[in-house]
Amino acid sequence: MASISLKNIKKTYEDGVTVIEDLNLEIKDKEFVILVGPSGCGKSTTLRMIAGLEEITDGEMYIGDKLVNDVSPKNRDIAMVFQSYALYPHMNVYKNMAFGLKNRKVPKDIIDKKVHEAAKMLDIEQYLNRKPRALSGGQRQRVALGRAMVREPAVFLLDEPLSNLDAKLRTEMRSRISMLHKELQTTFVYVTHDQTEAMTMGDRIVVMKDGKIMQNDTPQMLYNHPQNMFVAGFIGSPQMNFIYCKIVRNTDGYYAQFENYNIKLPDRMNDALSLYTDKEVVLGIRPENIHLAKDTKKKSFEMYIDIAEMTGSDYYLYGKLGGKNIIANVPSNMQIKSDTTCSMLIDTDRLHIFDKVSENLICD
Amino acid sequence: MKQRTKIFNGFSFSLLLLLSALFLFPIYLVIINSFKSKFNIVGTPFEFPNEDTFVGIENYINGIQSSGIVGAFFRTLFVTVASVLAIVIFTSMTAWYITRVKSKFNKIVYYLFLFSMIVPFQMVMFTMTSVCINLGLNNVIGIIPVYLGFGSGLSVFMFSGFVKSLPKEIEEAAMIDGCSPLKTFFMVVFPMLKPTAITVAILNAMWIWNDFLLPYLLLGSTDKTLSVAIQLTMQGAYGSIDWGGFMAMLVLAIIPIIAFYLVCQKYIIKGVIDGAVKG
Repeated sequence: MASISLKNIKKTYEDGVTVIEDLNLEIKDKEFVILVGPSGCGKSTTLRMIAGLEEITDGEMYIGDKLVNDVSPKNRDIAMVFQSYALYPHMNVYKNMAFGLKNRKVPKDIIDKKVHEAAKMLDIEQYLNRKPRALSGGQRQRVALGRAMVREPAVFLLDEPLSNLDAKLRTEMRSRISMLHKELQTTFVYVTHDQTEAMTMGDRIVVMKDGKIMQNDTPQMLYNHPQNMFVAGFIGSPQMNFIYCKIVRNTDGYYAQFENYNIKLPDRMNDALSLYTDKEVVLGIRPENIHLAKDTKKKSFEMYIDIAEMTGSDYYLYGKLGGKNIIANVPSNMQIKSDTTCSMLIDTDRLHIFDKVSENLICD
Repeated sequence: MKQRTKIFNGFSFSLLLLLSALFLFPIYLVIINSFKSKFNIVGTPFEFPNEDTFVGIENYINGIQSSGIVGAFFRTLFVTVASVLAIVIFTSMTAWYITRVKSKFNKIVYYLFLFSMIVPFQMVMFTMTSVCINLGLNNVIGIIPVYLGFGSGLSVFMFSGFVKSLPKEIEEAAMIDGCSPLKTFFMVVFPMLKPTAITVAILNAMWIWNDFLLPYLLLGSTDKTLSVAIQLTMQGAYGSIDWGGFMAMLVLAIIPIIAFYLVCQKYIIKGVIDGAVKG
């Protein structure tokens, strides 16, 4: 059990490329933290630095109270699960799982007990004598988890462990890993580029871009109160709609104006918007906050539907509002056809307004 | 289309048949002549042994009884086994290191190994022989590092190609599991290199076992290896050669290496494919 603390971490590769400039992150004991971001954002590098597989160019890294900058991976009391599983191909499942304990000179009977316990927990007891190549992807991934589990490490590091699995297995393994975290009561650091994994599994999500932390918060906060356009666009599927518009002040408050549409903004935003009068901002609306207007008396607007995608419980409506592409997510309890026009309503209580230049949140 | 493929297959089959016949013919000659009396070998070398010419295993007995052959056999076995072991262990470690640790120096070392493959032995043999004699390497033990040197070019090249195809994560997992670099190599990397190691072992064993020039120059007639012994012992005075014994000893000399090849051949094919597909 241990907390992890990264202070002013910098990583520059030998060829002079700096992937992480100045990273600060605190991970509490027993927490399940997810590092998420697009490829090349430095999330895997951060994880590998925690593991000790990459050297830290500058800054300090603590696991528990111990400064680990120069501690080798084997002495950091961590276990890692790799995307490619990284099982030892010439050893059977039992030996794969026992290898780490054997290297630490743990007595044989204890190794045996731990391996069987872990195998039982992960449903791989019947495969203990098989070589990795005789296992399916999901089974291999469970062996990799088992290998990490038997060591009872202070920190679990998982580097995109589900990326090589098919969609169904991924969903199954997702809940299994969450269960595992509950049972083991250990610190988990999990890297993924899949925002669904991030949202469903973590206590806390760290969204990264270009080696910087864009936002570090709970899944609910990230979804409902994104601090910048990157997080707003990255979290949520389909993506949040961004509409460039102008803030106009009228007698009854502030309006967002684009083309010939005017959207009345809630009064709670008045203070924040006073600085932006007659300036361009970006309006963020999640697809599910655009509804079909049943009551046409309300201030609805017309949306031309290019494509109506039926996903089962919902329709994803890809259409145009003025000249702008918009996605709306509405319940599928009524028939909607492509190439038609629908009256839509925007839920103004759930609007986010971002600065056009800095892309940071102005108010929501 | 089908017709054309059939013709092509038939053509390539006959070509390969002809080629294997060409390769097997000398071995066939050696084997049939090893059962003929020495006078009949020179007269009718291509004739299959018949009642008059067949001498049974007389040639084999004569050959073995002549001085030094048995000793030479075990000496060659020792030199081959020791050299091959040294080549496999040292070159696999070298290849692993220079592939995994990226530096300019390692790149230069790698190209030096590659370069050593294209230098013909005849170009360096005199200078090398005199250096080796000065260093005291002109004995059965001393020849092993010399073979290691000559064998390492191709071996490092082959191992490097395979190491490149191995996922680095496995070694990182071993590091996290508590392995030192040496332990990582022997417990995790080397077992994965097995197909290539066997290929390297076969290629080097065949060459070292059959080698004539290097042992002749370094060991001379004091510590004769098999190929040197067959050449020198069977050659009688005034150019007279016991062709029967000569042929019989040649048969005995090729049996071990062919047996070794047959045992390992399923791995040599696997090794070559592994390198080709993954590399």
